[in-house]
Amino acid sequence: MKWLHLFNANFRKEYIEMKRYLPNTIALVVTFYIVFLAAFFGIMFVGDPANFEMNVQYSIVSVMFWRLTMMTMNFIGYSVITEATRGTLEQIYMSPRGVWKIMLTRIISQFGLQSVIMVILLFGAMLTSGQWLSLNPLTTIPIILVTMVSMVGISFMIAGLAIIVKQIQAFLQIFQFVLMGLVFVPLTAAPFLAFAPFVQGVNMVRTVMIEDLTLTQLPLLDYGVLLLNSLVYLILGLVVFHRCERIAMKKGLLGQY
Amino acid sequence: MEKIIEVRGISKVYGKRKTKEKVHAVRDVSFDVNRGEVLGLLGPNGAGKTSTIKMLCGLLDADAGSIHINGLDISKKRLKALEHISAVLEGNRNLYWRLTVRENLEYFAGNRGCSRKQVAVQAEKLLEQFNLKEKENELVNGLSRGMQQKLAIAVALLANTDVILLDEPTLGLDVEVSYELRNILKTIVKEEKRTIIISSHDMPVVQELCDRAIIINKGEVVIDDRVENLLKLFETRAYSIKLGEKLSVKQENKLLTRFPLSTYKASSHETIVEVNLEQGQDIYELFDILKEEGTMVESIDRITIDFEQVFIQIVKGGMTSEMAPLIQC
Repeated sequence: MKWLHLFNANFRKEYIEMKRYLPNTIALVVTFYIVFLAAFFGIMFVGDPANFEMNVQYSIVSVMFWRLTMMTMNFIGYSVITEATRGTLEQIYMSPRGVWKIMLTRIISQFGLQSVIMVILLFGAMLTSGQWLSLNPLTTIPIILVTMVSMVGISFMIAGLAIIVKQIQAFLQIFQFVLMGLVFVPLTAAPFLAFAPFVQGVNMVRTVMIEDLTLTQLPLLDYGVLLLNSLVYLILGLVVFHRCERIAMKKGLLGQY
Repeated sequence: MEKIIEVRGISKVYGKRKTKEKVHAVRDVSFDVNRGEVLGLLGPNGAGKTSTIKMLCGLLDADAGSIHINGLDISKKRLKALEHISAVLEGNRNLYWRLTVRENLEYFAGNRGCSRKQVAVQAEKLLEQFNLKEKENELVNGLSRGMQQKLAIAVALLANTDVILLDEPTLGLDVEVSYELRNILKTIVKEEKRTIIISSHDMPVVQELCDRAIIINKGEVVIDDRVENLLKLFETRAYSIKLGEKLSVKQENKLLTRFPLSTYKASSHETIVEVNLEQGQDIYELFDILKEEGTMVESIDRITIDFEQVFIQIVKGGMTSEMAPLIQC
């Protein structure tokens, strides 16, 4: 029950703040829509006309996932920086529920809220391009949820780093391009990326949406890699976060900015 | 009396990044806090107060020693121990400025695992008590500093913990708000019987609210006594003596040699000697100096000193924990 109250409190906070920073939220949505338009017109004017439909569909899914991964993962880094600047970081560290739980509920809340925005953007992009993807929610949602686990892991690593270093804005700006690379590069071109976080999941969702597949039509090996990948990154994320917390408490870095 | 906080020999050393020099922020500090006691944790800037407070809150690991909150070792059972302690560490900076007054109360309660429904009655009571009811739906960034400070304290109280730690609760507030806040805290101390630790440079707050004071200087506890004892200790031996005439140079030299902390003020309309006597019989020595040249004594008044002066005398006088028992004798 305490978990539920913790989640409620953090979801509500994220939702309220998103509403109160509405111009910022709208600006971000518009930016991504513009990125999609740039990709769309780029494909239209310089792309191979034979693969036009395929390329547009590929770019729609990729832009959406780039936004989702970026907003979810970078969010927590910026969140820690903001908390440290405001002076609330120490206050949440005084919660007897544990900060990792607070962070987890915030990441999940943010993921949920960003997913709603992603769906709106997705329909906007499909409407603009006239290319309708197969959404297959019964197939895509479970894959996205498992993929999210690895995103949570990376988010914890970023949060840990932010607690110690604080000024990681430059890193986060570079990181958004790393995410872009991970989302856009197809696994067929770089199979080793299956071991990178969330790439396997994004690739599976993209295949499902473009080729109109169901859960059973995907190879079992893909699921195995996806599950293992998510689990490894989650554990790694929690370990790194815990280690960073210990360092911060040893050196007294929690309240410093 | 039941001890709710037990601090035993805690130390904290920081390493300077550039010079690798070690700075001992806290050295072998030990004290207990009884349930329902209001303790003032005092010290000049850089004395090791904040490090001690942060170790008590589980925000900073001690290099040595142990801290038990309600019998729970904070280094081993940190989260369990945090069930019993809440704090206002940076006053108005401890709040979410883009949330309203009520949303802040509910958010922090939620972070401790409580639902909005569970805290509704108490939140209502606190809003009334802190005169924040009218502002409950206003964003925190639109409130005055005093109101923000009051809200930060209300948030800590809503946690319903056995121990509340208030770091500089009146810092940066004007006289009126500071007075109001002091009165609210006084009511809370009286009604709720919670254990409160106040760290403050605002000595009237300490004098009015605290049962006991611990003064830390250079990382060490220099005094640990009841506030009334400390006041008594300094009050009884400080005198202001009005003289009928000026002292001679010889008398003045003798006075300052025998009583180095005394002050001698001679003007055209009055001559006053203020002296702090270590022992009661020292007054005879003072009279001997005055008698030498037949100096007339017009009046002798005991100087009533407040806690601020006590604090300054302890800190500036370089008193240590070894000297403290001697003074009490």
